[in-house]
Amino acid sequence: MVLAAETPIVGTGRDYTHLVQDYRVHGSLYTDPSVFADEMKHIFTDGWVFVGHESEIPNGGDWVARRLGTERVLMARTPEGEISVVANRCAHRGTTLCPQSEGNNRNFRCPYHAWTYALDGTLLGAPFPQGFRNGKPDVRLDQPGQIGIYRGFVFANQSGTAGPLSEHLGPGGSDLLDRAADMSPTGRLQLNGGWIGQRVDSNWKMWPESDNDGYHIIFAHESLASSLLAGSQYEDVILEGEGRTKSVARDYGGGHVELDFRKSYTTELAWLGAPRGKVSAYCDDLEDAYGVEKAKSIMWDGPPHAFVFPNLFLGEMNIARIDPLAPGLTEHHHTPLLVETSDPGINRRVVLQSEAAMGPASFFLPEDVVIAERMHRAFDVGGATDLHGHTERGWVELGRGIEREQSGGGQRWSDVTDETTSRGFWHHYRCVMSGSATSGPAEGNGAAPPTDRRATVKADQRRCRPSTRPRGARSRNSSTTRLCSRMSPGTKTGWRWSPTTFTTGCRSGPVTTSRAPG
Amino acid sequence: MALTVQSSPATNDYRQIVQDDRIHGSLYTDPIVFADEMERIFTNGWVFVGHESEVPDEGNWVARRLGTEPVLMVRNRDGGISVVANRCAHRGTTLCPQNEGTNRNFRCPYHGWTYDLDGTLLGVPGPKGFHKDTADLGLDRPGQVDDYRGFVFANRSGTAGTLAEHLGAGGTDLIDRASNMSPTGRVRLSAGWIGQRIDSNWKMWPESDNDGYHLNFTHASMAQAIPDTYYDEIVMGGEGASDSVTRAYDGGHIELDFRRGYTTELAWLGTKREKVTDYCDALERSVGTDKAQTILWDGPPHALVFPNLFLAEMNIARIEPLAPGVTVHHHTPLLVEGTDESVNRRLVLQSEAAMGPASFFLTDDAVIAERMHRAFEGAVVGDDGWIDLSRGLLREHTEDGQRWSDITDETTNRGFWHHYRDVMANDIVNGPANGV
Amino acid sequence: MDRVDEATRRDIEAFVYREARLADESRYGEWEALVTDDMHYWVPFGPGNYEPGTRVSYINDNRARLGTRIRQLATGIHHAQDPPSSMRRVVSNIEILSTDGDEFEVGSNFVLYEHAVQATGHLRLWAGRATHRLRHTPDGLRMAAKKVELVNSTSPLPNLAFII
Repeated sequence: MVLAAETPIVGTGRDYTHLVQDYRVHGSLYTDPSVFADEMKHIFTDGWVFVGHESEIPNGGDWVARRLGTERVLMARTPEGEISVVANRCAHRGTTLCPQSEGNNRNFRCPYHAWTYALDGTLLGAPFPQGFRNGKPDVRLDQPGQIGIYRGFVFANQSGTAGPLSEHLGPGGSDLLDRAADMSPTGRLQLNGGWIGQRVDSNWKMWPESDNDGYHIIFAHESLASSLLAGSQYEDVILEGEGRTKSVARDYGGGHVELDFRKSYTTELAWLGAPRGKVSAYCDDLEDAYGVEKAKSIMWDGPPHAFVFPNLFLGEMNIARIDPLAPGLTEHHHTPLLVETSDPGINRRVVLQSEAAMGPASFFLPEDVVIAERMHRAFDVGGATDLHGHTERGWVELGRGIEREQSGGGQRWSDVTDETTSRGFWHHYRCVMSGSATSGPAEGNGAAPPTDRRATVKADQRRCRPSTRPRGARSRNSSTTRLCSRMSPGTKTGWRWSPTTFTTGCRSGPVTTSRAPG
Repeated sequence: MALTVQSSPATNDYRQIVQDDRIHGSLYTDPIVFADEMERIFTNGWVFVGHESEVPDEGNWVARRLGTEPVLMVRNRDGGISVVANRCAHRGTTLCPQNEGTNRNFRCPYHGWTYDLDGTLLGVPGPKGFHKDTADLGLDRPGQVDDYRGFVFANRSGTAGTLAEHLGAGGTDLIDRASNMSPTGRVRLSAGWIGQRIDSNWKMWPESDNDGYHLNFTHASMAQAIPDTYYDEIVMGGEGASDSVTRAYDGGHIELDFRRGYTTELAWLGTKREKVTDYCDALERSVGTDKAQTILWDGPPHALVFPNLFLAEMNIARIEPLAPGVTVHHHTPLLVEGTDESVNRRLVLQSEAAMGPASFFLTDDAVIAERMHRAFEGAVVGDDGWIDLSRGLLREHTEDGQRWSDITDETTNRGFWHHYRDVMANDIVNGPANGV
Repeated sequence: MDRVDEATRRDIEAFVYREARLADESRYGEWEALVTDDMHYWVPFGPGNYEPGTRVSYINDNRARLGTRIRQLATGIHHAQDPPSSMRRVVSNIEILSTDGDEFEVGSNFVLYEHAVQATGHLRLWAGRATHRLRHTPDGLRMAAKKVELVNSTSPLPNLAFII
């Protein structure tokens, strides 16, 4: 802590096209305070950031405290039912309005001089009006330039210049959110299981990496092999090792990436670790809502294990958000993904699963935390990385699978143990940080499958997409306008895996390739 | 957890802020200076790492830092010593979070990459996914590693010239005299290290560890609590009262030379020959009566080998800079071989009294250093904030590339700072400098 | 409701201290031997004024999951506790809150210092209140439930991968 606090910000102008190369990135990207400052601007101010979910604030006056990068905000429900996102900071002297993490208020009243704001941030009144020119100061709470909602997931863009949310999500991000939301028979998730936060003494970017790394599980989570993982769904989908499963690491462009386990599941509901008999009402609800065919595919495919750039982790039956607080300090928050159903047991089961997987006392995340903290320490400023920008040493190797990954339809994919996901994150990061693109569309990295694979390694072939609108152009969307109305369940805009090789062409048939566990 | 944003000039003129008789306080607190030091001193120059006796057997390792770069010093299969980055070449995970250990190889917990003791990548799980030759993916290593009498040094850049040039005649002699305290000529650093964390810049330590002027004042409480120590005669008598001298060798190596100040043999051990006869006999058998006599009278050196090795009489200390305002001062007793263990037990007891966060000496120095550091926080170069280092400048002697003066004079501090200036101003890469 | 004889009170206090020491020293097997087959081990979010399972807790272990937790720790390769944290806790303010046949509900406060040696080397401070449900069994007192309310459980926590 002392180290981070004492580290100066020195200059600007980091060369992100040098620091992020096709197959490696430089360790200073984790530790350099200048990089962190650039990220807060280019990613967390100028781009779209996940804030929360509508279901967290069902009633007028409900609010939750969040961060857009390091900016503290409140996501609130106005009496009219609209969602607002406003700075958690009085427009007068800056006092934090709500120090708690959630609550319900008729309005926000500052304790210092009692300035009072509506839930949408409008100033309602300030005491002793004669002191102000028009009887009232002409201010309101700071707010993002635009907010957008997709399937109940609320995003905000502070600058207002990032283009529409649909461009940011692209087909890949939209499909991921669809698949998460479709886990609920009503198409609406209920994120009311509460959040747990874990404080980590590492940079935030260890989390997009490690949460979506299919290569480390056998090693970093070795201790679980004999306790929790034996017989779990992970045995089939990832633990077998290189080339042994049909799971793939997938890069949708736009920084959205997935560990796609769908092809590997050998039973329905494997991702829940329970047979249909235990959650039959839930399955019936799915069939009633979506029809037998689609319900079947939901029950087989399960929820996505994916990352929506820059801070939303769809952790199967958890939703997690990554809050960067300082170069060496991050909070990893998660909540179970609960569904609307008549089934009495499934949400209880999901909460139990969540407690095992995520959080400071869980079976998985503490190991990743120690790894992240040990990574961060190994790159402390002045060590491998110094403030003079020397980069002879201290690189992070990310080349795994770069020669065998496949691409098409704006995506790249490869073996689940390959670093396609990490590269997908970093290459979009490079585009955003070097100013080559806004945090925008996800039409992939632009390259068709190269004929000469070797050439792909040499050249920085992964081009950034140009920004679709000039920088500084401000969106006209106000803070409470919904950019995307909720799509009806089943509407798919993105790519879908077609089950041609795994079973006999149809998920409803008997599984012929299942293995005995262990 | 707010970031400290400090604006500083892009470059410092080290010839301007390190003058012959004064230096500017921003040298302790300016993060740009710290960054320059990490590059010019701790990357481009030789840095003390450890002693080969700390890793006697194959697979033994200790965790160290070269400046802020975390490294491991390892005993190889071929019996040699290697120094490798304590950081996986894949994603950078710290390989060994402990201080020391013994491994057959180094295995990263994240993805199971495994390295041989010399840093060669032995294997990666799922090898088909990689297009690179694993021979290119070993652990980062310093450009050169060398040792003198078991004291291991490393130079990250590989451009610093030879270790012999860095040590010069002065540094070589100091390490010889420390090593010769052992009847076998080989010291043994096996008693473990104690680290003291100090909220000051690292350069307070070359200064205060080798300052003969402050003892009567900073350590007055020690003098009252433990009267009649050997420090009374060699340094605490005051100006001109002892024959001890401060000495500056070429290359930033400096010494409080107590040899002429001692009035009995074994004064530096605070004891008499009959208490340590086995040790004295072993020395005489090993090097002959005359040389043994000299060693028993002169005792070990009290000196700094630039930039981070403090030969603290019968302790070895290393100074570890972590940030402009954070330093760890590590020490271990200098144990001897070829004699019974009673003398070593005595040395451990002595070490516990002198060094470390609960000792009689270092605690006072730590508070002084922290109070200095605080007084210069945010200092910027101007008319204010200078530190005077002129004491004895007009009466010190120069001969054979050495300077010396009264034990209370600041010849040692000037010796450190003037070499520092040469290195930081990039006037020399490293190696000998010709005094002021 | 604090009516037990002095001998029983001494046994209960000795049990709480012993449980704390075994946890401090990461003596997982011996610690596990203190629990009953219906053990419930709970570290709630906040003061725990909710039914476990209805919102996420830090720990909500039944006997089987507690067994899994111990097995993971005992592998020796659980990186989050490899090497195990060096820990000492001070347990105080022991009160016997209620008795019910062979069972006692016992409240206590603790302060725990943890040296997190796995990565950062930070000294971490944990404080809170423990509520034990202890039961007389033929083998002596055993722990049927332990609930730990951390004073800062509503803030993000660092790794809690040891037995608290």
